[in-house]
Amino acid sequence: MAEISWAKPKHPRKAKRSERLKFLIGGGLILASVVYLLVSGTLQGARYFITVDDLLKDGAYQGKTVRISGAVDGESIEYDSENAIIRFEIVNIPGEFDDLASALHAALADSAASRLSILVEDEAIPDLLQHEAQAILTGALEPDGIFHASELLLKCPSRFEETSPEGLSAIPEHN
Amino acid sequence: MLAEIGLASLALALLLALYAAAVCLLGIRAGSETLLRSGRNAALLTFPATLLATATLVVALMTEQYQMSYVWSVTDPQTPAVYRFTALWGSQRGSLLFWSLLLSLFTFGAISLSWRTEGRLMPCAIATMMATLAFFLGLSLLLENPFERWWILPDMPESRQVVETALIPPGAIAPSMENLAASATGLNPLLRHFGMIIHPPMLYLGFVGFTIPFAFALAALASGDLSTGWIKATRRWTLIAWVFLSLGLILGGRWAYDVLGWGGYWGWDPVENAAFLPWLVGTAFIHSVMIQEKRGMLKTWNMALVVATFSAVMFGTFATRSGVIESVHSFARSEVGFPMLAFWAFMTLIALTLLLWRWQRGELRGEHQFANILSRETMFVLNNVIFIALFAAIFWGSFGLPIISELFMGVEVTIGPATFEFFVVPLFVAMYILMGIAPLSAWGSTSARRLGKAIIMPFSLTILSVLLLMLAGTGAPVSIFGYGVVLFAGYVALFEIYRGARARHRGLNESWMRAVTALFRRNQRRYGGYIVHLGVTVIGIGVIGSTVFQTEVQHSLARGEMITIKDYGLRYDDYIRAQAVDGRMMNIAELTVLRNGAQVARIRPRVDDYPDMPMTIAGAHSTLENDFYVLLIGGNRERATFRIYINPLVNLVWWGGIVLIIGTVIAAYPKVVPARRVRKREAESAR
Repeated sequence: MAEISWAKPKHPRKAKRSERLKFLIGGGLILASVVYLLVSGTLQGARYFITVDDLLKDGAYQGKTVRISGAVDGESIEYDSENAIIRFEIVNIPGEFDDLASALHAALADSAASRLSILVEDEAIPDLLQHEAQAILTGALEPDGIFHASELLLKCPSRFEETSPEGLSAIPEHN
Repeated sequence: MLAEIGLASLALALLLALYAAAVCLLGIRAGSETLLRSGRNAALLTFPATLLATATLVVALMTEQYQMSYVWSVTDPQTPAVYRFTALWGSQRGSLLFWSLLLSLFTFGAISLSWRTEGRLMPCAIATMMATLAFFLGLSLLLENPFERWWILPDMPESRQVVETALIPPGAIAPSMENLAASATGLNPLLRHFGMIIHPPMLYLGFVGFTIPFAFALAALASGDLSTGWIKATRRWTLIAWVFLSLGLILGGRWAYDVLGWGGYWGWDPVENAAFLPWLVGTAFIHSVMIQEKRGMLKTWNMALVVATFSAVMFGTFATRSGVIESVHSFARSEVGFPMLAFWAFMTLIALTLLLWRWQRGELRGEHQFANILSRETMFVLNNVIFIALFAAIFWGSFGLPIISELFMGVEVTIGPATFEFFVVPLFVAMYILMGIAPLSAWGSTSARRLGKAIIMPFSLTILSVLLLMLAGTGAPVSIFGYGVVLFAGYVALFEIYRGARARHRGLNESWMRAVTALFRRNQRRYGGYIVHLGVTVIGIGVIGSTVFQTEVQHSLARGEMITIKDYGLRYDDYIRAQAVDGRMMNIAELTVLRNGAQVARIRPRVDDYPDMPMTIAGAHSTLENDFYVLLIGGNRERATFRIYINPLVNLVWWGGIVLIIGTVIAAYPKVVPARRVRKREAESAR
């Protein structure tokens, strides 16, 4: 009668040498292709994420696809709904800041801050495109001096951030 | 009073969790059953305590206690009841508490179910779960307290008169209710959507659920009980967590599709990716764990995967909440960032150290080795390689590259959606091919001939479908290839179900219906898994259709004018302004959709004017074939502009999600039927 053992085999069955070689070659090929995929994709698609100041000061960025972030000036927003063209201006936000909402507010209040005209084609106008929103744009600064953006992301930190209620103490207490 | 109850129960829950973790560890050291039982009881009690804290916050939200600053910040007097309730997870402080509640619930379930069967693993598992819970409760109590209230300190200078504290400061008075209600912020309009009601809880359930397998794995590593016990104890928990995470991701996509108005559902935003990363490692784990169960192999790897899944969950939570990564999702830079990073690093380090230690001692050695390149275990390993490659690519693009470039080059380098697609498309193609081949291979070894024989039928069906698609003139060769690959995986799943049923039908003379039912009952996990594969196939078809064949145009129409896009017609009928119950004004365009000249639907895309922002709500005519999706861009009664999308097969993405859930439920459903049958048999024999 055959015996069944549930114990662990003491010496795991060794794979044949030829099989092991196949695994090694296969594994190596897979690893190489994944690395190739990542490296080539990164080299092709990498975009510097820079400030408006960097873009305007360093000529090397002109014409190159980059990612920039700036504060939206609400008064400059124009939308040509017939042709789906959005135009607006953004103002430089310093690279380092603690609180986005106040950084956006301060940037727009600073008359000396550098400004950049933006053109976005064939896009519906986003709900969040409004004064003091942060625009994160991907595109290139063309020789016409306008930043032609192909991708537009917006953040409105001031809208729903928890602030403290204003004028609470001004009104006399009930009880 | 409410705030005090909330605070007290939150503090109690934290003390219980700390006590449970400490006593369990002491109990293991001292070998004391009494201590372990005490630890278990304390751990079980964290659930009612956290539930009480959460219930208090819900009551405060529902009864408009605006003095509580959380209530004040996420609701206002116009907020409808349902959003008052969902405001619980509408902002950081509430969602952290909600997260703790779910964790204590899962812990309660895991302890209740496994205390008897997994006695050796339990103490350490409880300690891990309780340490995690204590961390989140601690965050709630110390940094993000949802029970803080507004107070006025009349004796202070005016700029510092209004304070936000949990405990009542000496000499403080409460602000007037009217004033608080008038200044309350209200829920972000973007979050007022059906998808947002259930998307966050599902995602949290998924995230939190992975704590259970992690806790058991850590317990196995610490206790040295490295048999498959920890896997058996956590198999269902893993599937439950996985299905919730899947559901959370799909609902998030649905929300983006409906609310964000760009006709898409996935944008490769870092925060979306952060939720996708644990899903990828979790999926790899669900597959590779089967190799350990069947063949006793890949023990170290499985441990590493479960640690990686939990680690990805913690990292994702950190990335979402700390504001460290530039994303449209992350708002304020929050205080919880550093503690979360520290906790993530601490837990990952402990797990990796234990793993290395056991590995070095040779306790995680496999019982078999990979003997054949075509065996099912090799296929599963390849599947894991693909998932890990997807993980690596998405992690690299979302976090690795930006962080490393910032550190070493002083400038942040990012990649866009196109590069993410460049990364993932070939990997997903490989995944679908493997999804097709792996189920046909056998454990141990498979000959190429046998595999070839099994493949004939599904492969022929795939070729036939591809030819039909080509005859029907379905677009570019790339998309036809994509459909072919995806369909192949689906046909294999169907064919395997058919093969199993046929064997029973012939061998046991069962009717087809009975054979299929019995097949699923006998081997829930395998056949449930095939249904999941079918779901993923359906999602794949939807993704290809809606991305490759999307049509997008913008048109301005005069009232009564009609345009034709493909076989659709769109007529602009009217424009009305109306007021919603909560006071906001709605600008509604009335449109008629025609197909091949016949009216098929009336749709009403609209723009709602919220006090701080407009919000565009799409009008859509949905069929299984496509979505005719229209946004109102602007205009007046005489003339309005619309952006029109035709998204072919997009609904298959959601339907595929439902199939996936059904499959997972089948796979994870507890086997109750045989037990009932046993009782029935016993009753019959007793008669």
